[in-house]
Amino acid sequence: MKKHLAVIAAIMVFLAVFIPLASSNPDGLERVVETFGVEEHAPFWNGLMSDYAIAAIGDSYVSTLLAGVFGTFMVLLLGFLLGKAMASKKSKILE
Amino acid sequence: MHIPDGLITNTPSITTAIAMWIASLTFLAWSWKKAKATYSHSITALLAISSAFVFAAQMINFPIAFGTSGHLVGGTFLAVLLGPYAAMLSMTIVLLMQAFFFADGGILAFGMNAFNMAVIGGLSFFLIKLFTRGSSGSRRFIPCVFVASWLSVMAGALVAALEISPAFADGIMVTVPSMLFYHAIIGLGEGAITAVLISSLQRVQPAIMGGLTLLKEKTKL
Repeated sequence: MKKHLAVIAAIMVFLAVFIPLASSNPDGLERVVETFGVEEHAPFWNGLMSDYAIAAIGDSYVSTLLAGVFGTFMVLLLGFLLGKAMASKKSKILE
Repeated sequence: MHIPDGLITNTPSITTAIAMWIASLTFLAWSWKKAKATYSHSITALLAISSAFVFAAQMINFPIAFGTSGHLVGGTFLAVLLGPYAAMLSMTIVLLMQAFFFADGGILAFGMNAFNMAVIGGLSFFLIKLFTRGSSGSRRFIPCVFVASWLSVMAGALVAALEISPAFADGIMVTVPSMLFYHAIIGLGEGAITAVLISSLQRVQPAIMGGLTLLKEKTKL
C-alpha cells in the first residue's frame, strides 16, 4: 500500500514538473488537419474541462495541473473498479 | 492522435465512426471475457496505477520537428504490464476520461480512438510474444518492446488516416502519407519511452510485471 501511494505521489510530481515543459505545438493528427486546411465543425460535446483547463482558474499552470490531477484520480478510481470487477469471477456475491 | 468529432463531417465519416464503434465494442467484449478468464490473481492495483500513469503521461506532449508534437500513447506499455486484454480495457478507461471530461477525442469518434489506441495497443502484445518466444528474459525482449511500440503507433496512425480521410478533399492520398510521416517520428519517442520504462521496471520491481508472467504462461488466443 505504501509503495502504491509513493507511485501515485510520483505521478503527481511528474505532472507538476512536466506540465510547464510540455510542447503546445499541434500533435501529428492536428498538424495533418491544419496542413490540408480541413475545417472542423464545432463539437457537440465540449467536455467539462476542455483542453485540460479549469475555466474558473486564471493561472494556466495551476488550472492544467488541477485538471491533470483530477483526471489522474478519475482514471485511478475507474481502473480500481475495473480491476475489482475483473477479479470477482470466482467469488460470487449473492445479494 | 485523438480524432475529434469536428472531423466527422459527412455521411462516409459518420458511417466509419459507427463501424469503428462496433469494431471496438466487439474487441472490448472479447477482451473483457478473456480478462475475466485469464487472470488468476488480482491485478487491481497495478491496473489502476498504470492506467493513471498513462493518463498523466499522455498530457505531456514532446516536440518532434516541423512545429509538431507527439505524446506517449502507452498501449504497448500497458500490454506488457497487464497483458493484452486488461491493457485494452485500461486504455479504454483513459480514453473515456479524456473524451468525457477534457474533450480530448470525440464522443462519436470514440470508437475510432478506442480502436486506434486501445485495441491496437493491446494487440501489440502478441507481436512481442511472437518475437521473444514468450520469454521476457530473452535478449530480444527490450528491442522487441521498442519495435512493437513504434509499430503500434504506426498502425494506429494508419487506421486513423483511413478513418479521417472522408473529411479531406484528397482523401487517403494525403492522409495516409502525412499521418505515417509524423507518426514515424512520434513512434520513436513512444518506443524509447516504453523501452526505458519497461527495462527500469524490470530491474526495480520484477514481481509486479503481470503481463510478463502472462508472457511466460503462454496466453491462449
